[in-house]
Amino acid sequence: MSAVQIAPATAGPAPGLGSSRRRASFAFLRERGMGASILVTALSSAFGATLLAVTAYIGFLTTSAFGDSGSPAVMLAIVSTVFIGISLYVSAIVTSNTFSTIVAGRTRQIALMRLIGSTAAAERRRVASQGALVGVIGGILGALAASGIAVAGSVIATRLFDAPAYTDPIHAWMFLPVVAVVLTTWLAAWAGSRRVLTVTPSQALGGSVARSHEEIAGKRARHGVAIVLGLLGILLLVGGVVAGLVTPLGLLIAFPGGLLSFTAIVMAAPLVMPPVLRLVGRLFGGSTTARMAAGNALRYPERSSRMAIGVVVGITLVVMFGVASETFKHVAIEGMGQDSADALGVSMVLDILSSIMMGLVGFSAVIAGVGLVNLLTIGVVQRRTELGLLRALGLTTGQIRRMVVLEALHITLASTLLGLVLGVAYGWAGAQSLGGSGYGYQGLVIAPVIPWAPVVVIVAAMAVLTLIASVAPTRLATRISPVEALAAE
Amino acid sequence: MDTPLAASVAHLTKTYGTGNGSVTALSDVSVGIRRGEFTAIMGPSGSGKSTLMHIMAGLDAPTSGQAFIGNTEITGLGDKELTLLRRRQAGFIFQSFNLVPTLDVRANILLPFDLDGRTPTAAEQHRIQDLVYALGLGDRLTHRPHELSGGQQQRVAIARALAAGPELIFADEPTGNLDSRTGREVLRILREASASGQSIAMVTHDPIAASYADRVLFLGDGRIVADKPRQTAEQISAHMLRTEMEAAA
Repeated sequence: MSAVQIAPATAGPAPGLGSSRRRASFAFLRERGMGASILVTALSSAFGATLLAVTAYIGFLTTSAFGDSGSPAVMLAIVSTVFIGISLYVSAIVTSNTFSTIVAGRTRQIALMRLIGSTAAAERRRVASQGALVGVIGGILGALAASGIAVAGSVIATRLFDAPAYTDPIHAWMFLPVVAVVLTTWLAAWAGSRRVLTVTPSQALGGSVARSHEEIAGKRARHGVAIVLGLLGILLLVGGVVAGLVTPLGLLIAFPGGLLSFTAIVMAAPLVMPPVLRLVGRLFGGSTTARMAAGNALRYPERSSRMAIGVVVGITLVVMFGVASETFKHVAIEGMGQDSADALGVSMVLDILSSIMMGLVGFSAVIAGVGLVNLLTIGVVQRRTELGLLRALGLTTGQIRRMVVLEALHITLASTLLGLVLGVAYGWAGAQSLGGSGYGYQGLVIAPVIPWAPVVVIVAAMAVLTLIASVAPTRLATRISPVEALAAE
Repeated sequence: MDTPLAASVAHLTKTYGTGNGSVTALSDVSVGIRRGEFTAIMGPSGSGKSTLMHIMAGLDAPTSGQAFIGNTEITGLGDKELTLLRRRQAGFIFQSFNLVPTLDVRANILLPFDLDGRTPTAAEQHRIQDLVYALGLGDRLTHRPHELSGGQQQRVAIARALAAGPELIFADEPTGNLDSRTGREVLRILREASASGQSIAMVTHDPIAASYADRVLFLGDGRIVADKPRQTAEQISAHMLRTEMEAAA
């Protein structure tokens, strides 16, 4: 009798093996990047559900105050949908980015599975199902948070406004965004796991990890579409601005133009961002740490571009609302006279409206920020060997810290600059197309007015984001011992 | 006082872990690496050869004993001092992943100077130019590491290690990832560098690689078991086989 007992094949899987497999299917949640993905999905679903809850409550308030009034509620619902769409979009970018980064780090492990006989499709399905699980966990957390906020919020609001009691603050349809988040997370993980298909079994055998560069080729068609959309959008924007000189309806032409051209910029991020990133990289000077930081930010141009574009979306929209309302206010006040009650009323409404809008889009920027922190952290983890080499060659921990901070600054600065420029341009186009003919003027060309308060807030927030984004990676990076990192190879 | 030693260790002991599970990687090792010599450190896996090199290079701290680079005692130095020492006094050639992928060949070679925030002196620039030419890297200076073959990458690492004229170059299995012809070429380059005065310590388990060295140190179970002048690959293999059979007996 042999010392090793082999269970007969008919006995089915041993209970020990079965449970270890179940444990393994959740173990991935401890992997770096998963926590951030859960946070992103939770934030996004909480945001969506809360926004719908607020919409419902406002609908309830107006109904109880003015009787049945369907149209404001519908308007609100449309506006909410747009904002939920934006936050969904940004969180999908973050999730797919995170998953593609994680897959890149798992190359060896996937190659080993392929070597043993797993198919590429099965490996990809596994990654995508992990995405679905992340989405479900985040969605549940977000739904719970939103329910809590809805209940607490309605109680507080009832006391605050002395409004009639709001009996059912939670509706099933409030959680539609949660479902959407789960689905998009699943899809985003699927999209982000594309690289699994390119992993070959032989990569498990190689002595060193192949430094495959993410190819941008093959995206020609997509970039072609983006260029067509962009040109069309610019045409409409210009048309809207010109039409705005005679009628406020110019906004209706400019608006789809803005939508199209901005979509084009987001789609073509891997074309648009790298030049901006390179430009910013040059600002940091020629020291080795600066050059390496710039190089790191552009190492996976597509990854960094998409990550940066998430932040750009947030900043552009915030600045756009700010500039549009400030510029329009300027025109209105000039037209109606400095001190007229109308002018004051308009400027107050505009201020409130634009602050709400800015707050709502600002939330997407927070999600993008989480993605950025995550990207930098995983980047450091995946560069262990390289950082170990640099430590051996004489890079001090101070220099490592500087390098990581510069790397974060690289992306935030590039995003801020691009976001400011785009936001001012779009905001101005909006105000010009709406106000170019207003208040007794005809053919008025308005200079864009930049509201400094939100700009200062954005710059400060980006500075804070840069610091936060560098804390975890620098802590990891400075702890790397050269011996350990080089032995791993 | 100027010692004839580029690096040395005295009564060096290194243990990992504590209690019953502790492993002794080095036990009371005392040895010096002579200036201008090409020294090979040999031994089977787990003999402590890598640990010895890491401690000599200031990458790892010993449990007890002393380590010197030139006249400077490095045991007890802080992380910052050790880092600066490695930057200025040591050169490194690893088995793989020697180069920073985001920097081109020129920047990789100049890395020790750049990290120090200085430009090479005229004499150093001259030497680097000669090195680049001698190593056949002249038309590769603007290439990125991934555009180079394994042998070319290794030559860039050699150029970087030699560029600042360090007290001692540490080479950890420098031919481990190369085909035998490219490996021989790398070893010839190292021998030539040592012939013109550069001290080199090379960790290897390949008898052919060790046969290029002026002196071969054999490690076994954390001790130096033999210290021999230049050997042929056959002699080295025979020695290894003998110790292996003694250990098995």
